Amino acid sequence: MTIAPERTTTTAPPTEVPAGAPGPAIGRAVDRVDGLAKATGTARFSAEYPIPGLTHAVLVHAPIARGRITALDTTVAEAHPGVVLVLTHHNAPRLTPPPARMNPMDLSTMAAGSTIPFLNTDEVHVDGQPVAAVVAETLEAAQYAASLVRVEYLEVTPTGDFDAELGNSTPVRSMPVMPPTGGKRGDARAAYGRSPVQVDLAFSTPQHNHNALEPHATTAEWDGDRLTVYEGCQNIDWTQKYLAKRFGISAGDVHVVAKFVGGAFGGKSKVWAATLIACMAAKVAQRPVRLALTREGVYRTVGGRTPTRQRVAIGASASGHMEALIHEVTSRKGRVGGEADQVVACSLDLYDAATILAEQRIVELDLMPNTAMRAPGEAQGSFAVESAVDELAVVLGLDPVDLRLRNQPGERSPVHGTRYSHRRLAQTLERGRDLFGWADRPAPGTRDGKDLVGWGVAAAIHPSWEFIANVQLTVDATGGVTLACAFHEMGMGTATVVGQMVADCLDVPLERVTAVYGDSDLPMGPGAGGSGQTASLAASIERACRAMRKRLDSLSDRVGMPDGSDPGEVLSRAGEGSLTVEVGADSGPRATWGQVRFLSKMVLDSRRWMKAATGAHFCEVRVDADTGELRVTRWTSVFDVGRVVNPKTTHSQLRGGIVMGLGLAMGEETLIDTRSARIMNPSLAEYHVPVHADVPHLDIHTLDDPDPQMPLGILGAGEVGIVGVGAAVANAVRHATGRRVTDLPLTLDRIVG
Amino acid sequence: MNGAPRALDGTDPSTTILDWLRAQGLTGAKEGCAEGECGACSIMVARPTEGSGTQWTAINACLVPVAALDGQEVVTSEGLGRPDALHPVQREMAVRGGSQCGYCTPGFICSMAAEYYREGRCAPTAATPDPSQNGHEPAATANDPGNAPDHEHGPNGFDLHALSGNLCRCTGYRPIRDAAYALGAPADDDPYAARLAAAPPAARATRLDGATGTYARPGDLTEALSLLADHPDAVLVAGATDWGVEVNIRGARTPFAIGIDRLPELRTLSVGDDSVEIGAALSLSEVERGLAGRVPLLDKMFPQFASRLIRNGATIGGNLGTGSPIGDTPPALLALEALVVLASADGEREVPLADYFTGYRQTVKREGELIRAVRIPLPLSEVTAFHKIAKRRFDDISSVAVGFALDLREGVVTKARIGLGGVAATPIRALATEAALEGRAWSADVVREAAAVMRAEGTPMDDHRASAAYRTATLGTALLKLHAETATQQEVGA
Ligand SMILES: Cc1cc2nc3c(=O)[nH]c(=O)nc-3n(C[C@@H](O)[C@@H](O)[C@H](O)COP(=O)(O)OP(=O)(O)OC[C@H]3O[C@@H](n4cnc5c(N)ncnc54)[C@H](O)[C@@H]3O)c2cc1C
Ligand code: FES
Ligand code: FES
Repeated sequence: MTIAPERTTTTAPPTEVPAGAPGPAIGRAVDRVDGLAKATGTARFSAEYPIPGLTHAVLVHAPIARGRITALDTTVAEAHPGVVLVLTHHNAPRLTPPPARMNPMDLSTMAAGSTIPFLNTDEVHVDGQPVAAVVAETLEAAQYAASLVRVEYLEVTPTGDFDAELGNSTPVRSMPVMPPTGGKRGDARAAYGRSPVQVDLAFSTPQHNHNALEPHATTAEWDGDRLTVYEGCQNIDWTQKYLAKRFGISAGDVHVVAKFVGGAFGGKSKVWAATLIACMAAKVAQRPVRLALTREGVYRTVGGRTPTRQRVAIGASASGHMEALIHEVTSRKGRVGGEADQVVACSLDLYDAATILAEQRIVELDLMPNTAMRAPGEAQGSFAVESAVDELAVVLGLDPVDLRLRNQPGERSPVHGTRYSHRRLAQTLERGRDLFGWADRPAPGTRDGKDLVGWGVAAAIHPSWEFIANVQLTVDATGGVTLACAFHEMGMGTATVVGQMVADCLDVPLERVTAVYGDSDLPMGPGAGGSGQTASLAASIERACRAMRKRLDSLSDRVGMPDGSDPGEVLSRAGEGSLTVEVGADSGPRATWGQVRFLSKMVLDSRRWMKAATGAHFCEVRVDADTGELRVTRWTSVFDVGRVVNPKTTHSQLRGGIVMGLGLAMGEETLIDTRSARIMNPSLAEYHVPVHADVPHLDIHTLDDPDPQMPLGILGAGEVGIVGVGAAVANAVRHATGRRVTDLPLTLDRIVG
Repeated sequence: MNGAPRALDGTDPSTTILDWLRAQGLTGAKEGCAEGECGACSIMVARPTEGSGTQWTAINACLVPVAALDGQEVVTSEGLGRPDALHPVQREMAVRGGSQCGYCTPGFICSMAAEYYREGRCAPTAATPDPSQNGHEPAATANDPGNAPDHEHGPNGFDLHALSGNLCRCTGYRPIRDAAYALGAPADDDPYAARLAAAPPAARATRLDGATGTYARPGDLTEALSLLADHPDAVLVAGATDWGVEVNIRGARTPFAIGIDRLPELRTLSVGDDSVEIGAALSLSEVERGLAGRVPLLDKMFPQFASRLIRNGATIGGNLGTGSPIGDTPPALLALEALVVLASADGEREVPLADYFTGYRQTVKREGELIRAVRIPLPLSEVTAFHKIAKRRFDDISSVAVGFALDLREGVVTKARIGLGGVAATPIRALATEAALEGRAWSADVVREAAAVMRAEGTPMDDHRASAAYRTATLGTALLKLHAETATQQEVGA
């Protein structure tokens, strides 16, 4: 029996353990399969593989953002005991330049973190650019010797001031199949001018850095022309193909191992300087090299989330119907790479404004190229839109939940006209309102002792993505089932969830299923991005299981067993050792065909359907009336993420997203010195991620309502959690203090003013 | 190391415990920041209790030179349990989903295990006031939670502050807290619990020479002072929470380091009739435990000083040793009119803390001198408070810190001592504000007037932590806040 996604449109009952799951494993709060290894410190992260003859590399970073190396003296460093070599642009192997443009048939062409030819040039393009790498027998020797490398520069004044360059921005054009960076419905400017009620606000959000707890680390080892790379990345396929291109070898000669990844959040999708340099150093040293970045090294060589400057103008009727929604955004990229986040995307689908105008512009600076970070664009854009909507509610004297409900689109996406596969945003708002007890919302500016108390709400939306997932499913005569795919486990629980999906799709007990992953020797997996990994795997797992069932059933017919019999028994009875089914191919004409088919389905799909996870956040804040100190004291969120395969891992993902959103709201900010174009706080001491005490009890609910157009009904849960969090907090602060803070983070001096 | 000795031979003296562990293949402890912020490197060491037993203490392995562990007992997540023989803490973390990517997990495990074994965590007597306290209300310090579950303590007495030095970027902390609160009491045959009754290994004198310098741990104070006299440029290393940051982040190498953290003469705590003397090498956690609420102002400061993990290492002498203008103990100690006891080969002298700081990171401490102790005169003022404003509510360096100690008699301020941090090149006393209060009624009007004076104290600067204007504003409101607090206290008391 195979399990098809349920095509139900009813809202599941409000239980945490969902009803109506398709099988005994899916929907169960199964423990993480790797929990024990992680708790005992035996899970091996990429910098922890014991490798004979290993050497350690440490980078030397340029202290300038633009210029040229005029002198480089490595002799003292080379003479330090234990130093194997110092790699610079004088002795580093020449690499093939990164692909100049994106090829839709080979997405690894997007893998370049930047276009800088690292250690192949004497030019410096960004602050902290590696200009040398010291390789030594011990980490300590490499660290010390790195401080002995003498470099002189001819400095050129960098362009590092985002605000000063806003006038030099250029428009961003939306690309097909990529997330939208603009959209238009009617004449929003004219409609805004005519609207009786107007809200027009300017917002700013700063740069953020992912700060996955594991700093990037690469271990590279060459065997002739074959390269093995241990690296905790979130796109094995990109890493493999990109390294092959740069080093001029075939993809089959690059072996990438990424079994455990210590968090990523987008920061480990692309290939950054240290990966390339580790591979170069290993080639020259003819020894395995480990390059584990320091925290500062991550800030200096891996991009972060682009800052934004935004304007949101909403025109409405006196009854609270939106006549015009205008969202204008400028973001930033590096002169040497990066791209626009889809900051306006959420404005295209949150509300059914009669007219909509969403536009993005971009500025190029001498800074590290930006890169995707959890809900790239939606995280920043939702802060602006959901703050402006809240302000509109204040101006209209309407309840902010009612205002949002009043402006929900019907069947179709207002700008693109595509049909919502299913849309539950209103239900998340309504349920959240009940669960939070919104009816008892205190009056604005209510004081409790020394605190001002405020309640805020914001909505969330995040589109759902699917990527190619090639899988290999094997059943053996002992009844063991193995699913092999080079997917990524950065903590989302994918390895656990994959087991649950296979168990139900093949109708076998969960204990029999093993997932093998995190290795490029396995069939190509989907990148872990866009919250799309689980859904992508689900599609292929369904296909593989269906095919496997068919083959098992024909075997069982042969040996006279009923259909749906236990696979192990069927195989033993038939005298077969094992059966393997493959979905997709990694190379050759079948791979090309698979890609063509996938792309055309994706294009077609994107013209027909708008699929997205949605949600609503409700929170209470307390603001110290004297100091402006802000605490979030209560939180309820309700999400529609489609089917919940595992409530434990799903809720953990959503909670993690909200907490990262609390960071965005209250403290996270990468500070850039505008004159030197240098990051001033490259550390966890000065970049404030949320600590335990910042986090209130988070009450999280999911509707668990399968999406009829997604594999197994899964919409993805990795990113929607962070969307809207900044606005929910800012709206609560507005309610508590009367002050509309439009700049993130909401630090005490902004609140006190 | 996890029950078996490991040789330190061939280790460079600037190698941290963390780098050493990982080079040994013990990769449970991880590096997330190398500056004491994230706790991914947390390990447990056996440290003495006030009595004769052992307290498992979690510390940041990334900050401490491994040489400082010579002869000590250390446990990492690998030592606590294995996948087939889980430690209770590991089991709870695994089944409650306390681990997502897992990178923070071993660190959380060690911090949690140390709290799991804390003496009195589960004991119902923990909340009973200590009769030796002569009528002092035992302050509800973080170390004295009793059994009452509140937002910082679990029903099992688990003190959440124990995890305040550990960051997790994935889970949002809730499952980790669930795991912590689900822990029972250690089993009778638990080897780590059994270990608590016996003393930890005594620190032994040691010396490690390497390519970039020497680490020497003298056996006693005399030896330390003579080493210091011979090596005037030597760096004293106590809890190493500043040392580690200097070495890891700023690439500093110390040609000659003298480990003073275990010197018995620097580790005493005595309460006399006219003063409390605190040994300079006691960690802030040890001071907190040892004082047991006797100095309420310090009790208000401790929970706001970094994290428990850092406080387990950071010493009170080290906090004064740096001469930093934003240290948290100086504003509190200034308000308490504390004295610094300086020792050298020539003898001892006492300097009022108010005279100790001379300029930005400059003090009256001479070459060859070290801080042996801090002395707090008795009796203490009745009204005390510690206000710390930082960008993040916990685990952050101060933008501004204020320590208050006031005596009130019949509604009149008879004495006012106010220490300030973060508003000048050194910690300072708010002398003008003190004068504006003394001899006057503790009334809203007077306080408002004095608050205006306080706004003008110091010479605050703009930096990325806070603007000068904000610092000034904070100073102004600190006194108003204190007045409001005392008003509520009186109402509650009435
Ligand atoms: C993550 C983190 C957070 C922090 N948060 C705070 C905070 O909130 N508030 C705050 O005030 N501080 C904070 N600090 C700094 C604080 O930990 C240190 O100042 C600490 O108190 C220093 O003590 P130590 O024993 O670790 O010193 P060490 O690092 O061992 O030494 C520090 C300096 O003092 C000297 N020294 C040490 N002992 C003596 C002595 N007995 N006599 C003379 N000189 C001596 C040393 O030579 C050295 O120069 C933080 C540090 C970190 C790493
Ligand atoms: S590595 Fe972050 S605290 Fe030690
Ligand atoms: S589980 Fe990833 S940092 Fe905690």
